[in-house]
Parts: sequence; C-alpha cells; structure tokens
Amino acid sequence: MTQDMLLTMVSGVPWTIALTAVALLIGVVLGIPLCAMRMSKLVVLRMVANTLILTLRAIPPIVWLFFIFFGLDTGFVSLNPFQAAAIGLGLITAANMAEIYRGAMSAIHSGQSEASMALGLSTYHRFFDVLGPQLFRVALPSAASYAIGLLKDSAIASTIGVHEIAFQASHVSQRTFRGLDVYAVAGLLYILLSLPIAWASRWADLHLRARVAR
Amino acid sequence: MSLNSSSIPQADVASRPPLLRLDAIGKTFGTHVVLEDIDLSLAAGEVVAIIGPSGSGKSTLLRCINQLEPPTTGRVTIGDTTIEAGHTPTRRELMALRRNIGMVFQSFNLFPHLTVLRNVSLAQERVMGRTREQADAVSMQLLARVGLADKAQQFPSRCSGGQQQRIAIARALALDPQIMLFDEPTSALDPELGLEVLAVMRELAEGGMTMIVVTHEMRFAENVSDRVIIMADGRIVEQGPSGTVMRNPQTERAQRFLHAVKDR
Repeated sequence: MTQDMLLTMVSGVPWTIALTAVALLIGVVLGIPLCAMRMSKLVVLRMVANTLILTLRAIPPIVWLFFIFFGLDTGFVSLNPFQAAAIGLGLITAANMAEIYRGAMSAIHSGQSEASMALGLSTYHRFFDVLGPQLFRVALPSAASYAIGLLKDSAIASTIGVHEIAFQASHVSQRTFRGLDVYAVAGLLYILLSLPIAWASRWADLHLRARVAR
Repeated sequence: MSLNSSSIPQADVASRPPLLRLDAIGKTFGTHVVLEDIDLSLAAGEVVAIIGPSGSGKSTLLRCINQLEPPTTGRVTIGDTTIEAGHTPTRRELMALRRNIGMVFQSFNLFPHLTVLRNVSLAQERVMGRTREQADAVSMQLLARVGLADKAQQFPSRCSGGQQQRIAIARALALDPQIMLFDEPTSALDPELGLEVLAVMRELAEGGMTMIVVTHEMRFAENVSDRVIIMADGRIVEQGPSGTVMRNPQTERAQRFLHAVKDR
C-alpha cells in the first residue's frame, strides 16, 4: 500500500463524518415532531406519523438514496450527491429517532407528567424542563448505537458518488487491482471513527447516571 | 390564625363561603363507573379526610378536582373558576385551577434530574414568574419548614422516601396554593417514615391550610381532620365531623369498613 493510496482513502474520512453528522442532526431534530405526532391524541396525525415511520424504515436506505438522487433530481430540484444522501439518511434517522424517543418516553414514569401538570407547568415547560432532560438520559445509549450504525450505513452513499471512505476504497481498488489491503484499511477507518462515539456515549451515560441515579 | 383546626366548631366552618365546590361529579372509564354523583364543598381552613376501601374512587375523585382526570359529568368550582365536564377547559382555566391547588402524590414524583432546591423552585419561576433568586429564597424557607434545608443541593435519589415526600409537600406549597390535595401520601412509606410526613401535614392543618387528604391513616383522619368522608363503590356513603363518623358511623357500609380497619 503506497502513501498515495492511503491518502486517497483518508480523504474520504471528512465526507463520512460530515454525512453522518448532518444525517444525525436532521434525524435528532425531525425525530421530535415525528414522535410527538406518533403519540398525538389526534388519529389523523398518528396515522400520518405511522405511515411515514413505516415507509422510511421498511424501504432499504439504498433505494431511498436512488429515489431521492435519481428520482427527484430529474424534475424541479437539483441535488448534489451529498445533499441527496444527507436528506435520505436524515429522514430514515428521523423515523428511527422517533421510535427511540417513544421508547424512552414510556420508560419515564407517568407521575412525572402528572406532577408537572399539577404544578401548572405549560406543555412547553413540561417538555423542556421535566420530560426532555430525562428523555435525553434514557434515549442516549440507543441513540449512540444508532449513530454507529448510521456511520456504517453512510457507505451506501458511495453508490451515488459521495466521496466518502467506501467510495475512495472502491476507487483505489479498481485503479490498483488490490482488494484485500484496501478494504481492510477502509474497515480500520470505520472502526477508528466509531470508537469515539462509543466512548463519548459511555462517558456521558456514566456522568449522567452519577448525577441522576434513579 | 394558628388555631388547632380540629378545635374549630363545625358550625363555624360550615358558615364560611366554600372555597371549593364539586357538583354531581361522575367519572366513567368506558362502561366502568368509578365515581357517581359526588357533591362536596370545602370551606377555607377545613381539613377533610377521605377514607374507604381500595377501588372506591377516592384517588380518582382527588384527580378529578385538578383535572388530572377530567370528570365525565359535573362541575368543579374554585374561586372564580368553574370547569364543567364535557367542555374541554381552556389553558387559562386549567392554569387558574391548578395554580390554586397543590397536589402531593403517593409516589412523590419528584423530578429526578433536578436538585431538591430546583425541584421546589422550578414551578415558581415558570408559573409565577419569580426570578431564580426569589424562588430559591422561598424554596429554602419551605425546605427549612419541612426540616430539609440541608438537602437543598442533593438529588432526590439521595433522600429517603419520607424526605422525598416532605420535599414534594414543599414543592406544592411553593406556589401558595389555596388548597392542598394529598393522594395517599404515606402509603408508599414504611410506618416510621410515614410519621414524619404526617407530622408535617398536621402542622400544615394547624396553620390553617385547606386540605383534602385521601388516606389509610385512620388516626390522622380522626385526630387531624375536621370532617371525614367515607367512600365506597364510587359514592360517598357517609360524612360528618371526624369524631362522630369515626366513632359512631351510621350506615352499614361505613360500619363494615371502619370495623375492618379499626385497629390500624
């Protein structure tokens, strides 16, 4: 393996990180309204949310990316590969985050909500002062494992031409006719990237647990 | 006015205008009738104990008062606010109602992610618009009053059950409620810790606080409350001055219940 090959592959790292980060951000934020709709008292909202979540999760990510990149692009919008991948993976993440939030919500005792209501806290304060922080604490481990999964899934974006790690690996391998070491290096890069997420999650979990033993 | 409230003559209490009124409150879950036609009015300073067998609707009645459980029929009036069953109350009406009613739960329901001080201060800031300094000052006074000023910076998980319940009482008092509702406040505590909570409640009652207490503590019902209400099967089966009801119940259902629990 030459230095040139290695550098080419490492040049994919920022793209992998950026794609994962943007998709995660979209998912973490959009997951909140989606979860709220999913748990709404209004049947219509619940049905819309259910349909969205089911559709986003049931269709393979690669089909979504093709659909967004090749499908939407032909008409009125023009998306570059990175944008298409970020939107696709972001929406899929939103659906999964909504389910993670919902699970976390059911782990929080109903008394928390009742105490907030009895104190006259508005829905806003009930969520942001009482339920939200506890939700964050409960959802963190599942969200972190999802983030690591997302990091790996971002390799799918190579198929529509995002220059991330897997794309560079296949590029180098096609150019040099070497597979074993090239893909081994790619694998190593993914391991190196997922370790900090796992560490950060474990640290935050322990830190929060020490503060708020339940 | 720090009279021992149990010494206030019943006629005196009854002649004051009611602070809280319940008219024909009913609650059904599907086809299951939990409460039927409950009338109740409460004068300022009055302490009412609600006792009765499990499943008699005591807790549901309490939760109907502050609309944690919206009643199916009837009307709740406190001050100028009336909430009628069947109409979804506006946010303002709900706020006005809950602002005036403090509630203490069987399972304490302190916020585990906040310190004891923040637990007591939070709603003062968010609901009453006090500054953090004002709120914390009030909270410290209240924590001192329930004997827990030294726990202010701890998290609730570091406190015993009895301490947590006293903090919950301080948290409810922090909004200067006109009425305090207690939903089996000692049922989750072992007897010794229950006593420290009952002591705080007795002090509150003696200080003139208007209280409705759903309880299994028969001695508290007899000695601290002015009036006792016995419920069974979603109805009030007997009510009256605590001494009379506890020692000399008139209805067969009340006699049966009191006989079963008299040694508690």
